[in-house]
Amino acid sequence: MTDMQKLYLLVPLAPLFGAIMAGLFGKTIGRAGSHIVTILGVAVAFAASVVIFQDVQAGNTFNGTLYTWMQAGGLTFEVGFQIDALTVMMMLVVTFVSLMVHIYTIGYMSEDPGYQRFFSYISLFTFSMLMLVMSNNFLQLFFGWEAVGLVSYLLIGFWYERPTAIYANLKAFLVNRVGDFGFLLGIGLIAAYTGSLNYAEVFAKANELAGMNMDVTGWPLLTAICICLFIGAMGKSAQVPLHVWLPDSMEGPTPISALIHAATMVTAGIFMVARMSPLFELSDTALSFVLVIGATTALFMGFLGIIQNDIKRVVAYSTLSQLGYMTVALGVSAYSAAVFHLMTHAFFKALLFLGAGSVIIGMHHDQDMRNMGGLWKYMPITWFTSLLGSLALIGFPFFAGFYSKDSIIEAVHASTLAGSGYALFCVMLGVFVTAFYSFRMYFLVFHGKERFGHDHGHHEHHGDHDDEEPATDHHHGLAPGQKPHESPLVVTLPLILLAIPSVLIGFFTIEPMLFGDWFKGVIFFSEHHEGMKELAENFHGPVAMALHGIQSLPFWLAMGGVATAWFFYMIKPEIPAAIQRTFKPLYTLLDNKYYFDRFNEIVFAGGARLLGKILWKGGDQGLIDGLMINGSARLVGWVSRISALFQTGHLYQYAFTMIIGVFVLLTFWLNRA
Amino acid sequence: MNFVVPDFYPAAAEIFVAVMALVIMLSTTFARSIARSLGYFLCQFTLIAAAFITIGTMHGEVSYTFSNMFISDLMGDFLKVMIYFSMAIALLYGRSYLADRNINKPEYYLLAILMTLGMMVMVTSNHMLTMYIGLEMMSLALYALVAFDRDSARSTEAGMKYFVLGALASGLLLYGMSMVYGATGTLEFSGVAQSVYNQAANKPVLLFGLVFLIAGICFKLGVVPFHMWVPDVYQGASTAVTLILATAPKLAAFAMAVRLLIWGLFDIAEQWQTMLMLVAVASIILGNLAAISQPNIKRMLAYSGISHMGFMLLGLLSGVVEGDRHFALNAYSSAMFYAVAYVIMSLASFGMIILLSRAGFEAERIDDFKGLNKRSPWFAAVMMFVMFSMAGVPFFIGFFAKLSVLQAVVAAGYFWIAAVAVVMSVIGAFYYLRVVKVMYFDEPVDTAPIHAPAELRVLLSANGIAIAALGLAPQALMSICAYALLASL
Amino acid sequence: MEFKTFVFYFLSAILVFAALRVITARNPVHAALFLVLAFFNAGGIWLLLHAEFLAITLVMVYVGAVMVLFLFVVMMLDINLERLRQGFWSYLPVGALIGILLVIEMAMVLGGRYFGLDAMPVPPEPMAGFSNTRELGRVLYTDYVYPFELASLVLLVAMVAAVSLTLRKRKNTKYIDPSLQVSVKREGRVELVKMQAEKED
Repeated sequence: MTDMQKLYLLVPLAPLFGAIMAGLFGKTIGRAGSHIVTILGVAVAFAASVVIFQDVQAGNTFNGTLYTWMQAGGLTFEVGFQIDALTVMMMLVVTFVSLMVHIYTIGYMSEDPGYQRFFSYISLFTFSMLMLVMSNNFLQLFFGWEAVGLVSYLLIGFWYERPTAIYANLKAFLVNRVGDFGFLLGIGLIAAYTGSLNYAEVFAKANELAGMNMDVTGWPLLTAICICLFIGAMGKSAQVPLHVWLPDSMEGPTPISALIHAATMVTAGIFMVARMSPLFELSDTALSFVLVIGATTALFMGFLGIIQNDIKRVVAYSTLSQLGYMTVALGVSAYSAAVFHLMTHAFFKALLFLGAGSVIIGMHHDQDMRNMGGLWKYMPITWFTSLLGSLALIGFPFFAGFYSKDSIIEAVHASTLAGSGYALFCVMLGVFVTAFYSFRMYFLVFHGKERFGHDHGHHEHHGDHDDEEPATDHHHGLAPGQKPHESPLVVTLPLILLAIPSVLIGFFTIEPMLFGDWFKGVIFFSEHHEGMKELAENFHGPVAMALHGIQSLPFWLAMGGVATAWFFYMIKPEIPAAIQRTFKPLYTLLDNKYYFDRFNEIVFAGGARLLGKILWKGGDQGLIDGLMINGSARLVGWVSRISALFQTGHLYQYAFTMIIGVFVLLTFWLNRA
Repeated sequence: MNFVVPDFYPAAAEIFVAVMALVIMLSTTFARSIARSLGYFLCQFTLIAAAFITIGTMHGEVSYTFSNMFISDLMGDFLKVMIYFSMAIALLYGRSYLADRNINKPEYYLLAILMTLGMMVMVTSNHMLTMYIGLEMMSLALYALVAFDRDSARSTEAGMKYFVLGALASGLLLYGMSMVYGATGTLEFSGVAQSVYNQAANKPVLLFGLVFLIAGICFKLGVVPFHMWVPDVYQGASTAVTLILATAPKLAAFAMAVRLLIWGLFDIAEQWQTMLMLVAVASIILGNLAAISQPNIKRMLAYSGISHMGFMLLGLLSGVVEGDRHFALNAYSSAMFYAVAYVIMSLASFGMIILLSRAGFEAERIDDFKGLNKRSPWFAAVMMFVMFSMAGVPFFIGFFAKLSVLQAVVAAGYFWIAAVAVVMSVIGAFYYLRVVKVMYFDEPVDTAPIHAPAELRVLLSANGIAIAALGLAPQALMSICAYALLASL
Repeated sequence: MEFKTFVFYFLSAILVFAALRVITARNPVHAALFLVLAFFNAGGIWLLLHAEFLAITLVMVYVGAVMVLFLFVVMMLDINLERLRQGFWSYLPVGALIGILLVIEMAMVLGGRYFGLDAMPVPPEPMAGFSNTRELGRVLYTDYVYPFELASLVLLVAMVAAVSLTLRKRKNTKYIDPSLQVSVKREGRVELVKMQAEKED
């Protein structure tokens, strides 16, 4: 093993060590010990990632096996790393955001009894995510995939005394299971048709696969594989219709909402599709599917953000919408743009979440935006960093989000794929919606009248809609007359550190990442998808792009959104209420989140329950219980009785049994001979 | 006929252990005051030193000595090392248990070491006579150990039963051996194989003898219908002895089966495979079904052991398919892996019973494991590992053991056996998981803190970890088994 | 019929009869005595096969030592015959059935077909001066030295097992350790104590 290989190994193992220490010996090493050891682990991983990043910049990539677990039936199960531009970028993002979140957690969770457990989980998450991104084969990818899912499940239900948290984590678990089922099918198809789980070997056979049809059904094989894999991505990256778990996942503590449900885990699907670009490129059908799903998510989830009152839920829906943007980029083969947006989004979305968390701390765990307002005076750092995050999110020129989002829109514009017209409409309108809900939140929280500190009886709007109950159930809120205060340094420091890349990273990295050679040999484009090429021709440096951006439609749509939000919530707050009354059915539709949950509950859950009932009554009670379980229980009882009959403890019976055994064997043999 | 002094070198470990047995006997007789710990430590020393000698004298080739009655090969060496290892651990686990019941007499350790010698002789024998003598040496010592707690009626009864049935089984085995001698004119395994290969043997008589050989082997393995002694003896013997009984002798019995059937009678493999098929399937079915209704955990583990030995036989019986010996190596190494895995799991399971027992209290009922998680989360986890592993839950060693024998069975084309085995192991999972359930979800009945010496705790923990770790990295042990067999066949 | 053949059948018939009586005799002492008879006849058959040493050993060891010991044990232990026989008749039908079937099956193999004179020819007559005992002794200490030594260890196991299972120190025993008795010194027997003639106040 070379020194670099040891370093690669160090990156995932350092957080794992931290997780084990904090998890198993949390009581012994105490609270401070737990956060020191986990932060140290993640910091080491981050430092190592930086070194690896420089090494990769120097052109040293790596793809190899470190440990062969087992070989079975021609398939090799192994642990291996593929270190290239895409991986190292993900490693940097994951370790950096994770480090910030670790530090932030010290402040956020300071009063929680599950302090050590929390640190252990987030370090474990970091390990799993790193295993996922560094993998060079499908098995390890799947391991990481399931492991991040598991940690996410554990963390959503972190406050396991709350029934809503349990409900939410069950929901996340079940919905992800649907996605994982598709993912596993995809991997299974790959293993069945290529006989390998290694990326490089599978990609080498991609063209071969493209010409094949499936054995039984006759479907084009590669399309089936890609769609199956993408269903996995839909689950993890919360695309319609498997998005329902993400808003509910806000039941977890805010730091993990930032780390897992905004910055890293939910982007695993995007990462995976980008990694699989050699396969997806060969199937236009699959790409169109990806495109339409992404566009739908981008727009329609944005609408839902408009009517939310829980600060975290607004950010959650904005995450859904932004994930939709990334998926759209994947659909139009702008993988680098998708990954670029993934990176910028990771920074500014983590910032927004942590900012929201800071506000929640200041408000004493009241998450309802209707009880806030005018906070900028009391929480200056949070206010300013949140403003920067929001500007990045809406794609204000020169901010990170601008470069990535504009590139995506341009790429959609240039695409000729089926469904790209619809996608363009969705992403354009999405810009307006994004700006509107982002600044609605911004104005409601930081400006306007101070609505906190009153006896703001949240009971009056209790029961507005079901999903708000969790927010009101456990918020304490400020006592009358009490003022919010700025959060401590451990909370604000990560905000500041995250604000820097949120503003700057797009400007500095767009050229190498999108138009340079950074992803050469990692991400693959086929000849007839030339959206990115067209983009490159029109690109004349980041400054020119920003100046050009000011004259383009998306910028004015965004400004329109900001202005509308300002007008509605600062000048004439009665307008939204009026609109709500006028367009009651529309509001109800949004309020019920397009009835996805209701639909799932009635059709899937209800259907499953009905099916379960049928199977239970007819199959289980009748057939299985009646015949098989009770039958086999009777059989087991019978066998037990028989064996008890023989197991009398009488020696001569034992001996006699042996003689009978010999007799049976002898007779058996004599008949054969 | 000139007599040549035999080469003692390959048998160095056997000679050493024999000498040490005498040293233990004499030294504990004369140093009466410290006899108990002296016996124990000398015993452990002997086992460790024997392991070093065996590894030191190990070489890749097959060699014979003592007029071809002794065979030295890698398979034997590997099994011998595993036997020392499991005996050493079993004695260590049992030490405090014996001391609490005041039966830790030096004779106990002397018998244990002589028993080890008997197993070593079995493992390295190339001759039916030495095989039989080794078997008797092991069995006699075991009979005495089972009855060792002589003031306990159950223990002496178990010893008596084991003795009488064991004598009957020895008789059957001896009868079979004499028939094989009658058919082939030799007792040496390679000679028997040669004679069968040349068609010189009287086949009907050979097969007649085979039935009795199988009966003798099956008794030692404890498979249906020669299993009747297993539950009674496991339950009756003191747990420390059950621990010994359920581990190393299984490896010796495996070696006996391999030497007799594969070394000696490989050319009539199809005949004994069919016989083993009957007993294996019967054992898997009966073992799993009967274990369900046992409230006593030792008895439950006894039945589970019956089914495990049935599983192990699955590997042995799928070596040759219609004359095709292609799968043999794979199948036999899967059986060996199973036997080793079973020994490791068995050590931990009975070790847990010892851990929870204390002076005047036997943690024999499944109810005694209730709420163990509240008393000691770590040991509840260890027990959970063991139970999961025995049930064949993925990524524990037991899973890979089951997987590899099932692969062998499927490769040999016996799909129905694989189906029965899978269904039965699913049923079997019930009683293993029941133990896990009572540990984690029931309130503790017995709330006394766990008293156990540090070495027991440490080693038992290591044992539990090994079960999990070997499940994550089974390849090494699997390759050792395959390599040892390959170098010996 | 040759004389040897007649002797063989004569001895065999008694052997089988005696063996049957061992398991059917009501009185354990009778059973033991029938076993002695069986051993004698087996020894006779071995003599016919020129295995003189083994024949003599069988009689000496089993009849002379083992069975005598066994007889003593049987006579000293007062065994309740009726309890032993409980269930005998109820199990007899099944047992007899299986037993008879087994015997038939064994007879199919062990009959003259495979063990007749053509399948197993008579070993050639030994040369003059051939000593069965010497031959046995020679292989026993050369070729078979390994099992021979092992057999001694098996006996050791049996001894250790028997002693450890049965040896008990009685609590109320009046036993005095001779070595302690011998090693007693004068000072240990009588102790002279100096004391005042009168009690002081």
